[in-house]
Amino acid sequence: MFGVKRTFFILLVIMMTVLGAVAAQDASEDELLGAVPGYETWADVLAAAQGTTVNWHMWGGSDKINTDVDRDIGARVLELYGITLNRVPVVDTADVVNKILDESAAGDTTGTVDLIWINGENFRTLAQAELLYGPWSESIPNAQFVNWEDPALAYDFGFPVNGYESPWGHAQFVIEYNTALVGEEPPRTFEALAEWAAANPGLFTYPAIPDFVGSVFVRHLFYWAAGGPEPFLGDFDQAVFDQYAPMVWEYLNALEPNLWRAGETYPEASVLTDLLANQEVAFNMDYNPGRAASNILEGIYPETVRTFVFDTGTISNNNFVTIPFNAPNAAGAMVVANFMLSEEYQLNLTDPTNWGWLSPISPAVYSQEFQDAVAAFERHPATLASEELAAHTLPEPPSTWVTAMEQGWIENVLQK
Amino acid sequence: MRWLTLMEKLRSPLMVLPAVGVIVILFFGGLLVGLQQSLGYFPAIDSYEVTLRYYQDVLSDPIFFESLWQTFRLALLSTVMSSVLAIALALVLRDTFKGSRFFTFMFQLSIPIPHLVAAAGIVLLVTQSGLLARGAYALGLIAAPRDFPVLVFDRAGIAIQLTYLWKEVPFIGVVVLAVLQGIGPQYEEIARTLGANAWQRFRYVLLPLIMPGVLSTSIIVFAYVFSSYEIPLLLGVRFPTTLPVLAFQNYQDPDLAQRPQAMAMSIILTVIAIVLLIAYKRLAKYTVSR
Amino acid sequence: MKKALRWVILIGIVIVSIAPILPQFIWSFSHRWLFPALLPTTWSTEPWEYVMTPSSRVGEGFANSLAIAVVVSIFSILVGLPAARALALHDFRGKSAVEWLLMVPIIVPGIVATMGIHQVFIRLNLTDTFIGVCLVHLIPCIPYMVLVMSSVFANYGTDLEDTARTLGAGPLNVLRYVTLPGILPGLLVATMFTFLISWGQYITTVLIGGGVIITLPMVLFPFISGTNYATAAAVSLIFVAPAVLVLFFTSRQLGRESSVMGGFGRL
Repeated sequence: MFGVKRTFFILLVIMMTVLGAVAAQDASEDELLGAVPGYETWADVLAAAQGTTVNWHMWGGSDKINTDVDRDIGARVLELYGITLNRVPVVDTADVVNKILDESAAGDTTGTVDLIWINGENFRTLAQAELLYGPWSESIPNAQFVNWEDPALAYDFGFPVNGYESPWGHAQFVIEYNTALVGEEPPRTFEALAEWAAANPGLFTYPAIPDFVGSVFVRHLFYWAAGGPEPFLGDFDQAVFDQYAPMVWEYLNALEPNLWRAGETYPEASVLTDLLANQEVAFNMDYNPGRAASNILEGIYPETVRTFVFDTGTISNNNFVTIPFNAPNAAGAMVVANFMLSEEYQLNLTDPTNWGWLSPISPAVYSQEFQDAVAAFERHPATLASEELAAHTLPEPPSTWVTAMEQGWIENVLQK
Repeated sequence: MRWLTLMEKLRSPLMVLPAVGVIVILFFGGLLVGLQQSLGYFPAIDSYEVTLRYYQDVLSDPIFFESLWQTFRLALLSTVMSSVLAIALALVLRDTFKGSRFFTFMFQLSIPIPHLVAAAGIVLLVTQSGLLARGAYALGLIAAPRDFPVLVFDRAGIAIQLTYLWKEVPFIGVVVLAVLQGIGPQYEEIARTLGANAWQRFRYVLLPLIMPGVLSTSIIVFAYVFSSYEIPLLLGVRFPTTLPVLAFQNYQDPDLAQRPQAMAMSIILTVIAIVLLIAYKRLAKYTVSR
Repeated sequence: MKKALRWVILIGIVIVSIAPILPQFIWSFSHRWLFPALLPTTWSTEPWEYVMTPSSRVGEGFANSLAIAVVVSIFSILVGLPAARALALHDFRGKSAVEWLLMVPIIVPGIVATMGIHQVFIRLNLTDTFIGVCLVHLIPCIPYMVLVMSSVFANYGTDLEDTARTLGAGPLNVLRYVTLPGILPGLLVATMFTFLISWGQYITTVLIGGGVIITLPMVLFPFISGTNYATAAAVSLIFVAPAVLVLFFTSRQLGRESSVMGGFGRL
């Protein structure tokens, strides 16, 4: 009896190894994965992922991102690993978080979500409720490219990643402006911005919180009020918050009459994009420094749109993917996340004619060809040089601060 | 024989049973779960204590009342304007003339069109850089988008009301048309021979006849706008918004402790809707009997 | 003078009716169309190419929306017709209570019951399923079916059926040759309503379908809220097509059969 079982086990291992060897391209597949629940080696993961479907829930409001994901990730993981990527578009990532919370409350141990595009507050909610699968992200083969010492990758809005999220792309806040209305030299400080708005009423506004772009704009004001990000990088402190918040609300309420629609209402981020496109306003803002260029190429923005960062810098963060505790296909999800850190994909991601995102990975860890290709990219005039962005980067505060700032804005600015 | 009378007695209840069963189980079942959670009974977050706290929370929140007022205002304005326009247009369309079938078809065109599509169409027309604004620019009426009146993403909810008008005028209008066709021209002929002028014929002959249809159709329209979620979300401002949007935002809050409050809000919403329906029916009866 | 005014109104009706729809044709072929251009400065078939790709999920959404609307309509007929007939033609104890029960879902915002149902469906594993979405669509559809059809039955009466029966027709034959042809025009309109109500559902599908069951409104919504108007226009037009087709077949009944639309006067 024992012998049969043993033989069967050995056969299984051989089969999996063979399958894994066929599917995999990385050499490290026989290495132990450490603490990854349910799998011993990467070969196990690859074998379990072969021929499966991965349900990736992600914000679906951009047909450019949708198409790019299907082409550069979906089609590739099907070819390389036989994985069918089912992109499930959601209007708000918080809806997915809710779904997981509900499934857990109902005792649902086999869910429907395999992978989520996530960061910040949503990640913290799931991690604190212990509703994530893992730890896994430091054990997958391509995790070797990730600099886990970098605080921007080891922490997501101040919350330790600890192997529960894998990076996808890097983001840095920029302001977009139409040179036809603003001229060549934009207001690069908050003082100059207020002056400009006073001289040109109705042409500036920012997205309404809880939109994450509106939220990060307000965070910059806290950094401005405190003369830097330092007071906000530790745990939330009500006294510190109360010290700087009045100055922020005062600035924003003074700015309000000069905003678009005299601040009677604040637009959704997507509406603001349309407003800049049609010259209803002169400014917009985004976490993706390459979006202005891609919008110009797509015919959405006029050719005269450019971007800038504040003299005192702008906030940058990373986009991650995570796997919920009840994912029916965690193996497939890990293979997809691993592919997203591959040299091939990160090159596509940073190509300005393609995605135009920033990479969370330092190019130096990839091959010489990769570095040459990146160096040869032609930068669109609406995109800032990566050196300029890197020289002006500020960290995100922990998400507890973010929640307090958002709530404060709603009470002290929106509803005033 | 007794068997037969029993069958006879049970026939009607048996015929309504499937429909009533589905509605009671799904709709009232859903409502009951909502009621439970609104009272704080929510095992998922280990809350078993029955309390009215969440109702107090909701009813002491000025934002709730602002949303309630916004919801009510939008529903009332849309309903009244739709009804008046529908009656006027039905009067024009009821005669048979050359091409009347074509015009009636065009009038009905918006009935099957989903509200979302209507919203998309209205946005393209009425934003400050929309097609109307571009027309105004071409005619030299405005110099820049911001000279064009604010019709969308506004506190008054003009684009929301335009969308509902566009959708509901034909809906009420078709009911009025159907009633008018059922009446025929005799009554008016009699009134005319008795010396009534056009206004009197409308006010004292036609209006009383079409009013029951208009009133009960307008209840449906009112209820529809009162429950609106996606239209105010797409065309309105974030604050103040409508009650269904507010309730759903609370429901979707990652903090599960917000749930009972969302449920309390919807139970209050249900009570308001039913009270309004009863009041409306009373009013309708009174108006019609006069 | 009066005639001229009438023509102005009639032409106004035509313009207003098509004003939100016709520009969407142009938008769906535009690449760059910014203020103050009256026509696109760059034309493109990109939006249409995009909606034809599986990536856009328009095809999947269309198939799901259609299947759900058909299933919901059929089920509404099956449970709604007997109820409508009983309410229209018979008197029985508790009739007015039944009428109330069936009208309340029309009045109470759909989202209210859906949130409660959501909690139950999670436990029953009905969230994220086709059946779950169909069930929640039934809530607004059945009342409309009953409302319209009870008016049709009341208007139609039982005289013809009685005559057929005295002439020796069996119950099946009465149904097949007398009742069904008599109520068919009304049934068409009622089915159109249930079809369209299901076809247009958004938030109930989002909540119960959990993003797994994708319908057309769910594909369209992010494009409108994302101000991606060219793609939104293309999806809109696909979304509208079956609905207008349905109207085309029922338009005559809508205008001529007073008892059908009169049903709304019975609420």
